[in-house]
Amino acid sequence: MSRRFAGAGRVVRRRLLVAVPILVLTSIGMFALGAASPIDPAKQYAGSAAFTANPEVLAQIRANWGVDDPLPVQYLRWIGNLLRGDLGWSTSRHEPVASVIAARAGWTLLVVSLALAIVLLASLLLGALAAYRRNGIFDRTLRAAAYAVEAMPVFWIGLASIAVFALALGWLPAGGLTDVTASGTGFGDVAHHLVLPVLVLAISQAPWFVLFVRDGVADSLRDDHVLAARARGLPGRTILFGHALRTALLPFLTLIGTHLPELVGGAILVETVFSLPGLGGVTVQAALGSDFPLLAAITLLTTAAVLTANLATDLAYAAADPRIRLDA
Amino acid sequence: MTTPRLSTDGLTVRFRLRGAVVHAVTDLSLTVQPGELLAVVGESGCGKSVLAHTLLGLLPRNATVSGRAVLDGNTELLTGRVSGVRGRRVGLVPQSPATALNPVRTGRRLLEETLRAHGRPRSDADGIAAAVGFDPADLDRYPHELSGGMAQRLCTALALAPDPSLLIADEPTTGLDRPLVDHTLDLLRRRCDTGNTVILITHDLTAAQRVADRVAVMYASRIVEEQPADALFAAPAHPYTAGLLDALPDRAFRAVPGHPPMLTALPAGCAFAPRCTRATDACATMPDLSGTARCHHPLVEQEVAA
Amino acid sequence: MLDALPRRRVLRLRPGQTGTLVAASVLAVAILACLLAPALWPLDQSAVALDQTRLPPSWAHPAGTDDLGRDVSLRALYGLRVSLLVGAVAALVATVIGGIVGGIAGTLGGPVDRLLMRVVDTVAALPHLLLGIFIVAMLRPSLGAVIASIGVTHWLSTARIVRSELLSLRNRPFIDAAISGGAGRRRILTRHLLPHVLPRLALATTLMIPHAVWHETALSFLGLGLPPHLASLGNMINDGQGSLLTGAWWASIAPGAVIVVVTLAIAALAVRWREYLDPRVRAELQL
Repeated sequence: MSRRFAGAGRVVRRRLLVAVPILVLTSIGMFALGAASPIDPAKQYAGSAAFTANPEVLAQIRANWGVDDPLPVQYLRWIGNLLRGDLGWSTSRHEPVASVIAARAGWTLLVVSLALAIVLLASLLLGALAAYRRNGIFDRTLRAAAYAVEAMPVFWIGLASIAVFALALGWLPAGGLTDVTASGTGFGDVAHHLVLPVLVLAISQAPWFVLFVRDGVADSLRDDHVLAARARGLPGRTILFGHALRTALLPFLTLIGTHLPELVGGAILVETVFSLPGLGGVTVQAALGSDFPLLAAITLLTTAAVLTANLATDLAYAAADPRIRLDA
Repeated sequence: MTTPRLSTDGLTVRFRLRGAVVHAVTDLSLTVQPGELLAVVGESGCGKSVLAHTLLGLLPRNATVSGRAVLDGNTELLTGRVSGVRGRRVGLVPQSPATALNPVRTGRRLLEETLRAHGRPRSDADGIAAAVGFDPADLDRYPHELSGGMAQRLCTALALAPDPSLLIADEPTTGLDRPLVDHTLDLLRRRCDTGNTVILITHDLTAAQRVADRVAVMYASRIVEEQPADALFAAPAHPYTAGLLDALPDRAFRAVPGHPPMLTALPAGCAFAPRCTRATDACATMPDLSGTARCHHPLVEQEVAA
Repeated sequence: MLDALPRRRVLRLRPGQTGTLVAASVLAVAILACLLAPALWPLDQSAVALDQTRLPPSWAHPAGTDDLGRDVSLRALYGLRVSLLVGAVAALVATVIGGIVGGIAGTLGGPVDRLLMRVVDTVAALPHLLLGIFIVAMLRPSLGAVIASIGVTHWLSTARIVRSELLSLRNRPFIDAAISGGAGRRRILTRHLLPHVLPRLALATTLMIPHAVWHETALSFLGLGLPPHLASLGNMINDGQGSLLTGAWWASIAPGAVIVVVTLAIAALAVRWREYLDPRVRAELQL
């Protein structure tokens, strides 16, 4: 094993070589858009007071913020601040961007990782079973369901699930992280509140994964080595999961990374539907208030998180395929 | 009279494709005895490999099979359950060992998995590998780290792990150099000498000559000649067999002219007639396999049953 | 061996194509209803009937009424008009952006190609919805902002398709023949490249419409999309949230169901079209 990871450092370096330009390009693009925006940050900062404040006060704010400096200067100052850990001041929340994110990123990460774990487990199992009896009843049903779910907006699934499971049946809470009466965040209470949002996010993301696994396993079931494994008289379960799924898993691993951005988008919507205190809610609030510092920070951080996850799937791929030598 | 290890009767395999039917195996009747090594020879695409997959129940779903194949007089191979038969009693050394091994498993894991599936101790792995000439130390390598010859021997070891009484070896010598070919063939021969049966599927007549007790020649999905090996190599009855022998380097070294027909469009009569120098109008009807050769104009007189 | 088989290019109804017929009918009815709605069932967006709020589905109101007493089914029809129109326009914008980027990368190649593909990779690594929200936030929610948001986030696949088509065409013999035959750049482009690329571009646009509708719906649901006088299906789902919590589920669920059915129909037809353009896909699916 360790021999195969001899070049892990090199892979990390190579990924960074790609990631840094992506983040720089993204930040430039966002900054340009922010600069083109018709919103005056000084008036925004002053809020409703802007209508009554005299022009000198506004000019003072503009000078303090350097809003009238040349754009490249402003950009470099902004990036410099970000790199030093100063994420700026959120105009929509009236608190530092860093503290807004620190208080909420954990919940978003929790929802996203739980949903991803469920999606992966379910898609591997269901996709493999569907492929095993290709064009059988289970396969057809699963594929029809996957195409249908793919067309459903995630927030619509969320609202429908609230209507059924929270309101009609009363099994699960309709939103929030804890009961209104709760004094703290107890584990059981939070878990009870997360069941619906996590499942809704998982279901809405599942179709792509399920169909991909199903097609991959169906292909690999026709591989020579799977036919050879059948010829050896191995049990069906071993052939399906130990051989066909195991080799179909390799391309799947690399594609998980490319699908993460969509999972993040789904999480924003699900958090909004279920009023969870994650990044989704503040993102919408920031967007309604044209809060550039908060929106830019959330977008950049999320992008960085997605790129990190891509690196992780690269390493996982190398671990899963003995033919890949990282130092080669 | 002993029970034959395998007997097939009118075995026929068809593949349905969109707009076409592939005639892969047609009316194939064979009997192989315990301790016998039967070579099935023919050019590629004549249906040899389909025969192997049919006997193991590995055909894809667009295949239809008719006829019978009985193992040891008591087990129907075409209709019965494959569990306990496939791998255990009928083994297969697959074609193209390079792709027949799972690329993400070491040889040891594949071998131990096969042993466990057939109720044998995993500790047998080293011994089985050594018996086919595969260094047990190399069992911990991944398939891409093996040479062609090593992969071939590993595939043979995997097929032999459950100790099947009928072993079907599908082109086991392709791509090997001569010493390895001889080693593999001798291994198969030794299995027959202990009462097991081997069907050697090959296009290599030299290999068949070296080890086979009997040879069946396939052309365009049918057996066109079947004889004891000595007789066949001394005096082939079918013009196609003669042509194949002529193609050998130590003989005329001259390939049979023309190409075999598409299995989707076989003629009604003798399929070899278009390439045959002896063909006459009679060849427009399908000859029987009454004597040794399925031919209207055999090269040697056949003892036709009265 | 498969190549030798006859291949039917004529669209013919087979058992597997019942779905296509259903999808085509659904879409035809939806488009017809959208076109005829203003003439047959005029709608006054501002009309309220406070004595008829949150009525459950009935013969008079097939999808019930909302919290202002407006008929949900009629509003959903008008919402569909807006959603489809915005989706189609935005998909066209995305195709134009992707076509230009892919066209430049594919014809010029070299360092320009590498740079543009780096930009494609960058946008692909960004969460689309987040980027879309950012764009709308900076441009302020409006029709133009929504279309820009969709266009900027959805051009990648088109750019990749156009680029790879052009790159592969550059290496085909008939292009070489045209060049050696003395054909100019412009002639090669109009006579040889465009006829190959255009059908694929049209297909890519159609496949994009459902995605554009979903993106617009998501923005409108978040309150970041179209203004109330242009209420789309997403706006209606957002409006209906309050009613949902009081038990009047139809105000949100019915408009959402319209999105699901119509986008599914468009996607199904587009997939069938792709199979027609590229029979290899179908061969793989069937064998």
